Amino acid sequence: MSAPTPEPASPSVSHPAPGPAREEQEWRRVHPVTPFVRGWAAVVAILVIGGQQVLDDVANAVRALDSVRSLWWVVLLGLLLVVAIIFGYAALAWRMTAYAVDDDAVRLRKGILFRQQRHARLDRLQAIDVRQPLLARLFGLAELRLEVAGGSDSGVAIGFLKEADAQRLRADLLARAAGVKAARRTDPPAAHATGVNPPSDGGVPAPDLSDAQPTGSGQGPDAGVDDDAPEAPERQVYEVPAARLLQSLLRMPGVWIGVLVLIGVGVTVAVTREVSILFSALPAILGVGGYIFQRFAGEFGFRAALSPDGIRLRHGLLETRAQTIPPGRVQAVSLTQGPLWRGPDWWRVKVNVAGYGGGEGQQQGEQQHVLLPVGPREEALTALWLVLPDLEVENPDDTLALLDEALTGDARTDRWFVTSPRSARLLDPWSWRRNGYAVTGRALLARGGRFVRSLEVVPHERTQSLGIEQGPWQRRRGLASFVLHSTPGPISPAVHHLAEDEAARLLGEQSARARAARAHAGPERWMEGQTAGQTERQTEGRG
Amino acid sequence: MTSIPAGADPSTTPSTRPSGPFDPPGVAWQRVSPRLVPARLITTSVTLAVPIVAGVVLAVLVSPWFWLLAGVPAALLVWALLLVPRQVRAIGYAERDDDLLIRKGIMFRTLVVVPYGRMQYVDVEAGPLDRKLGIAKVQLHTASAGTDADIPGLVPDEAERLRDRLTARGEARLAGL
Repeated sequence: MSAPTPEPASPSVSHPAPGPAREEQEWRRVHPVTPFVRGWAAVVAILVIGGQQVLDDVANAVRALDSVRSLWWVVLLGLLLVVAIIFGYAALAWRMTAYAVDDDAVRLRKGILFRQQRHARLDRLQAIDVRQPLLARLFGLAELRLEVAGGSDSGVAIGFLKEADAQRLRADLLARAAGVKAARRTDPPAAHATGVNPPSDGGVPAPDLSDAQPTGSGQGPDAGVDDDAPEAPERQVYEVPAARLLQSLLRMPGVWIGVLVLIGVGVTVAVTREVSILFSALPAILGVGGYIFQRFAGEFGFRAALSPDGIRLRHGLLETRAQTIPPGRVQAVSLTQGPLWRGPDWWRVKVNVAGYGGGEGQQQGEQQHVLLPVGPREEALTALWLVLPDLEVENPDDTLALLDEALTGDARTDRWFVTSPRSARLLDPWSWRRNGYAVTGRALLARGGRFVRSLEVVPHERTQSLGIEQGPWQRRRGLASFVLHSTPGPISPAVHHLAEDEAARLLGEQSARARAARAHAGPERWMEGQTAGQTERQTEGRG
Repeated sequence: MTSIPAGADPSTTPSTRPSGPFDPPGVAWQRVSPRLVPARLITTSVTLAVPIVAGVVLAVLVSPWFWLLAGVPAALLVWALLLVPRQVRAIGYAERDDDLLIRKGIMFRTLVVVPYGRMQYVDVEAGPLDRKLGIAKVQLHTASAGTDADIPGLVPDEAERLRDRLTARGEARLAGL
């Protein structure tokens, strides 16, 4: 039974600022069922292992049972003791877990033996997820996860709470993180239509926020009752039908390889009449099947919406997750298309968000990074538009043409992209015509891949560091690769095999562009500019 | 655009002095301490000594075939003896107004640009051998795990000066993520 796991006291997530005027430092408790919802996996594991042991050796177990029949009260007492210990531990764990919210930070304390107190600064908030595992859904509970970009496992998980409470807390936290709360606003935030300009051409379906009604967005009647933070209005932008999701999974090469392997195994078994082969192939089959099921279950019912608090994503079949990514928190976007997705022109859109981490080891790692599991080109471009409303192409009418070139064009038809020179042909015979980059006023577009097409978009102000790399073969041919370092995530943007001097020039220009963009980046508290009369330049000298 | 800079001629053999794309105009590179050479060589030889000794002993006692076991690591050691001094000479760094440049490698060259405003923290590390030889490593961390920005083989004074300078400049230019 593992309730909130006692962890060695790790350093607090961000600088524990000496809290200025802790106005309402009231500690609140999570729902009492929490330890059980958290620990169910352990209980199930114990039951399964115990059950296996018994099943393995039924005869022995029966005999053992016979011999202890006279001692039944000892067994019963032992069981009661175990239950009592688990219950006591759970109760203690629950009593020790509490959270508090003020204008600048969220505090969470937990742990019995190793006490931990975490302090997450709200202006560093990267994303808020409301997670509902299957069991929690049955109880009507939800867990709130705040991501604050402090390295691995730096998030703050508040849970479990009643669903309505979780929604309310999320709205409250978002309002505080946005800086609206500090300004003690009275109206719900006006949708900041200033930053939301539909791409000029109008070809991309651009939902207009201005007519989004400030309803409670159907999040339960009490979401708006709380005087402190009504849910920001939102407007659904796209959703992925289950049929399309299923089809897209069937169009993955991995699935076909899996099916072929399965057929091969089946034939072998039929020919050799050795059933044991089936068992040796079982792990591989389970692995492929598990991956596909996980993709399907995780991305089932995917819906994306736009609100002043940023991008809202909802998805999940068994475990549901509602993600909110505030404006300016997306570090990079990628659009990819596998070979079998070309027919229907489907694309998959992923993002790097600082708090979500690399995703390795974490089950939900991949799912958190998905902005659009699968969608036709217009939807993929809408997803890109959610992150970057305006690419600021020199001539706005060219935006769509540029994006088309970025998605499917190559060196023979390029108007804007700078591609690998002919000398890269030997090093990268397959996709040298696709490798390339283009720069707009807001972002760098890196294109690559011919078999699996990909486009990576990095806003200039989100560049962490950059570099060029050159191996011995590349030097022979006067080539170099340009690399942008983004926060941990599925996207590591790079432009491969550029001409040497081109890569060097891009390095110089891009670092200058990133510097200029940083200086003019919006405030961390994204609504501050709106409430305090368009004071855009307030990031300088922060800290 | 610009013509290919002199020295980037593909026919020239790779030299320890990088040029062309890895030498942005107007950058004065600073070298690291040559004491990094023994530091690296000692670690390499200690690791390679184990299979070499084992191979020699077995070759004498059991079968001459074990000379192969000793020979491969020995060849690697000779290779390292030749390569490491050049590698160390190829490491360079330069402080510019807004960013730090770090250059590395002979065969596989990299040049990394780290803006001061992007630095999250700076580490100074020195193991026991490093301390004995009087060198330290300065490592820069940004929010990206991909930023491979460390400067090995700095004299401790220089490492401390660099650390203080970098943190001061980072604070002045700190930006959000």
